Amino acid sequence: MSKFIFSIVILILTGCTEQALINQNNHGLIYCAEANPVSFNPQLTTLGSTIDLTSKQLYNRLISIDANTGEFLPELAHSWKISNNRKKITFELRQDVQFHQTDYFTPTRKLNADDVVFTFSRLFDAYNPYHFVSGGQYPYFQSIGLDQLIKSIIKESEYSVSFELFDAQSSFLANIATDFSVILSAEYAKSLEIDETLENLDNYPVGTGPYKFKDYKRDILIRYYKHDEYWKHPVELEQLVFDITPNSTTRIAKMLTHECDVTPHPNSSQLSILASRKDIKVLKETNLNIGYWAFNTQKAPFDDNRVRRALAHAIDIDKIMHAVYLDNGKRLESILPNTSWAYQAQVNMPNYNPELAKRLLRQAGLVEGFKMDLWAMPVARIYNPNARKMAELIQSDLNKIGITVNIVEYEWNTFIKKLEEHAHDTVLLGWSADTPDPDNFFSPLLSCAAALNGKNAANWCDPEFDLLLSKALDTIKIEERKEFYFQAQQMVIQELPLFPIAQGMRFQASSTNVENIEIKSFGGVSLAKARKL
Amino acid sequence: MAKFNFNTDISSEELNKSPLRQLWRHFKANHVALVGLWLFIALTILATLAPVIAPYGVNQQHTDALLLPPSWDDVGDVRFILGTDDLGRDILSRLINGTTYTFGLAILTALITTLLGVVLGVFAGMSKGVRSSILNHMLDVTLSIPSLLLAIIIIALLGPGLLNTVWAIILALLPQYIHSVRNLVVQELSKDYIVAQWLDGANSWHILSRGIFPNIYEHIVVIFTMSLSTAILDISALGFLKLGAQPPTAEWGAILSENLAFIYLAPWTVALPGILLFFAVLSTNLVGDGLRSALKKRKAI
Amino acid sequence: MALEYIFRRIILLCFMLLLLSIFTFSLSFLFPGDPLTNLSGIQDISFHESDALSEKYKLDQSIPKQFISFITRVAQGDWGISFASQKPIFEHIVALFPATLELALYALLASIVFGIPAGIISAAYYEKWPDKIINTLTLLGYSTPVFWLALLMIMFFCLQLGLLPMSGRVSLLYEIPDITGFILIDILLSDVSYKFNAFIDAIKHLLLPTIVLSTYPTMVLIRFTRDSMLEVLEQNYIKTARAKGLSRSQLIFRHALRNALLPVIKQIGLQFSSLITLAMITEVIFSWPGIGRWLIDSIYQRDFPAIQGGLLAVSTFIILATVTADLIHSVFDPIIRNQTHGKI
Repeated sequence: MSKFIFSIVILILTGCTEQALINQNNHGLIYCAEANPVSFNPQLTTLGSTIDLTSKQLYNRLISIDANTGEFLPELAHSWKISNNRKKITFELRQDVQFHQTDYFTPTRKLNADDVVFTFSRLFDAYNPYHFVSGGQYPYFQSIGLDQLIKSIIKESEYSVSFELFDAQSSFLANIATDFSVILSAEYAKSLEIDETLENLDNYPVGTGPYKFKDYKRDILIRYYKHDEYWKHPVELEQLVFDITPNSTTRIAKMLTHECDVTPHPNSSQLSILASRKDIKVLKETNLNIGYWAFNTQKAPFDDNRVRRALAHAIDIDKIMHAVYLDNGKRLESILPNTSWAYQAQVNMPNYNPELAKRLLRQAGLVEGFKMDLWAMPVARIYNPNARKMAELIQSDLNKIGITVNIVEYEWNTFIKKLEEHAHDTVLLGWSADTPDPDNFFSPLLSCAAALNGKNAANWCDPEFDLLLSKALDTIKIEERKEFYFQAQQMVIQELPLFPIAQGMRFQASSTNVENIEIKSFGGVSLAKARKL
Repeated sequence: MAKFNFNTDISSEELNKSPLRQLWRHFKANHVALVGLWLFIALTILATLAPVIAPYGVNQQHTDALLLPPSWDDVGDVRFILGTDDLGRDILSRLINGTTYTFGLAILTALITTLLGVVLGVFAGMSKGVRSSILNHMLDVTLSIPSLLLAIIIIALLGPGLLNTVWAIILALLPQYIHSVRNLVVQELSKDYIVAQWLDGANSWHILSRGIFPNIYEHIVVIFTMSLSTAILDISALGFLKLGAQPPTAEWGAILSENLAFIYLAPWTVALPGILLFFAVLSTNLVGDGLRSALKKRKAI
Repeated sequence: MALEYIFRRIILLCFMLLLLSIFTFSLSFLFPGDPLTNLSGIQDISFHESDALSEKYKLDQSIPKQFISFITRVAQGDWGISFASQKPIFEHIVALFPATLELALYALLASIVFGIPAGIISAAYYEKWPDKIINTLTLLGYSTPVFWLALLMIMFFCLQLGLLPMSGRVSLLYEIPDITGFILIDILLSDVSYKFNAFIDAIKHLLLPTIVLSTYPTMVLIRFTRDSMLEVLEQNYIKTARAKGLSRSQLIFRHALRNALLPVIKQIGLQFSSLITLAMITEVIFSWPGIGRWLIDSIYQRDFPAIQGGLLAVSTFIILATVTADLIHSVFDPIIRNQTHGKI
């Protein structure tokens, strides 16, 4: 009875608005995002937090990868052909793909080969008027050397495009299928050239994806409307709103008060709370990722292998697995997660041994110990749900071998920017795969090209290692490629520019009335089919 | 008060007591204020002896005991009376040590402010003419900016950190202090007995030490308690905003914000520092209020 | 006399603003890094850009000239760009300030509505139980850290009972165009089908932050009103009135109230400064998109041009509010106009 009265009181308090809000609610979904997007063009970034908000929501790629089988699936290209020498790939495009009509652009034609040519020529053709716009850095493509790989892109016919390559690279298709390789509108780009507002291409996006851009208020929200003429399937939601909430506790609280419908990466310590609620479900998905501790190898004393090894020996990973991952992660035995086909457990992997660590430091002539900075990411990522806490654990472990650690934190986008300038000593970072191809864990993280564009947090450049990677890429036979990747893994663990710590699980909390949110073991989230009951 | 009183209602015994003892008598009669005083003394002891009293080190991590609830809970552990946080640190030890940072440092801050504030306030009160006018206008500008905002400005300059917070709060509290002391001094200076002293040929120092000081120091104590409670609130608020004490420093506000992540899982880790903070400010306010009303009552006699 | 008083206040205001702008200007040099970068907000200034910017900011000239150029730019709304967003700071401030102002105004209103009557009641029943209860509550209110209060409120009303939302100004699904920046007014002005629901929703969002923010000023007003009332009640004219046999309520409402409330008016104006500071904390906790949260975020990110601009805006506002309250006060209170030295 008292419960009845209580619910009546609540009804009176909330009643009159509840019904209407529900109506409004069914048409819109609120996704609590972790950070401001750095751009609305995924070509310009490798940040998962930005990719999640943009790539699969606003755009499409030529092809995609089936997460279960690893096979390529048609997307904007309905079919493709690879020449005999594997140096020419021709894509046949769909003819019914409509671009977004927005407040700032009205398309007059459907997608055709011009759009594809424009999109990719921007990446590597210095004569493309957009090449140097918005910083002119294409970190993913530069790290994997795509700009060195593509010889030319040819418009074969109105709906057919072919890529000519310098080398037959085995990971090319996989890279074309990543979240970064989205197709932009050439017509929109032309219209911006006339207005001389080139940067709007990346700030006011036009794509072919399920949602179109409406509004962005920094630190507050991003609003998308549904794309009525989406070529693939009807879109259920009228509105998709990203509520920008960097604090993970606030995100959970918003889940509980139903101010958010979906939240990515809930803090693992809060999973039990979410799981105990009837109106919230938690999705758990294994994910191809690694959380690591990178040392700035260009800075003393981290240029000394013995010091890096000593640091790795000094930290107790079991403790980290327990306190940071709450036993929801896997210890890494190599730079690759063990679900990758090129994985090989490394015997050389440093184990917890403070005595050895001290000995190594003595050998390196650092008897007195030293002071160092440890940068900790301010956001939760799949590979590291709580970098701050990990940093505190490392701080106390290193204190035992006489090293004083200063923990450094910045807002996420500033953090990345400063990191790219290599202003750090050491950093806790990680990488979530964009494709199942093992090269995705090597080239973007540790190649010389990545060191140049700042994505290589270890600032480590070893030509021998690069050679190994390109050999692996030039090989077709999977067994031979594996051999090269085994060598590469050994080399990483031997040199230890970064120390792989753990592989995390991807979690996502959503209200039970939200359906069809797709998270895969690699790449960003897709809300294309999401709907509310 | 120097004024002679021939009121016959009051026994001669009462009049013979020193002003200080009269004050204490009035203060004692106010039981709530007395409780506040005891609490205040207890916190002060805790702040000075924290490392000795605390059962474990502030940053000692017990990896076998993460996020343990308080010991009276079913899954609690007797070793950790108030449970542990997510890094396995004993909450009781951290809170006790937090007293040093939040409460102890606030006292230190308030003391330094008092020292500077009294010197500058007296100077401002004794000076006349253009100098005093300029000083007053400067004070007016800074007074219109509240202490926490001023502290935030100073931290924006110096960068976050506990020591910077202390400097910032001292600088932020100072204008208010100078203003109050100045008013007290000006008020006292205009009284007849001071004029009489001037006429007797006393110099400034004499007037200050013999005339003004004995008459205002009790008021200064009241101002001290007010700035102390502001200092506690500001230190913890800045710690909470991550602009003050940086983790793993066991400052209460910082502990609170650090443990916010566990507000659902382990609400006690958020509740306890908040309660302590509340008691610290409350005890200071009680003492301050008690003193003020005792002063008022003594004056009324 | 009144004119002279107003004139003096305005001179004082100008003096305060001058000091404030000197302070803000000097921040560009006090902050770490290159003054040019701190002034303009442009990072990684290239060689030829550097010359043009130096020219614009008059960095090659004497300090007074630089300062004048600074003032001119501030007046023109050119406050440099933010490191973090690369957008003009003035735009940010214009967009964010109304949100803070709205919250502060409602909180101030609430504290007047509750604080002054409570203070009067407390004084009317001096040392009786209503006074004691109100006194105890005030003491508790004074002693509760505002962030802790906010958290308790969120824990109880949002998470435990699920009655109220805990963040933002209105559910993000309601799309309200920015016109005035005051959410309630914007909703009323807007042309959407869900106007009524959005309005109720916005009120719900406002409720907790307003309560939290109004706590401290309410306590101050209670105490101030009480003390001021007690002081007035001690005065001779009241004693005379009492001797004439007026009842207590007549005494308070007919004779004491007007005089007791005079200093309270001034106190209300002074509350703006603590309101804006406390709003910073409240905004952070309730994710309220105002200038306080932005300023604190800017400090985290060492966004110096933004810190500088934010401080200038907030401090100018506080000074203006204080002086305005003082002027309003002087309209009601003729005595103060005759004082030779103005005090704030």
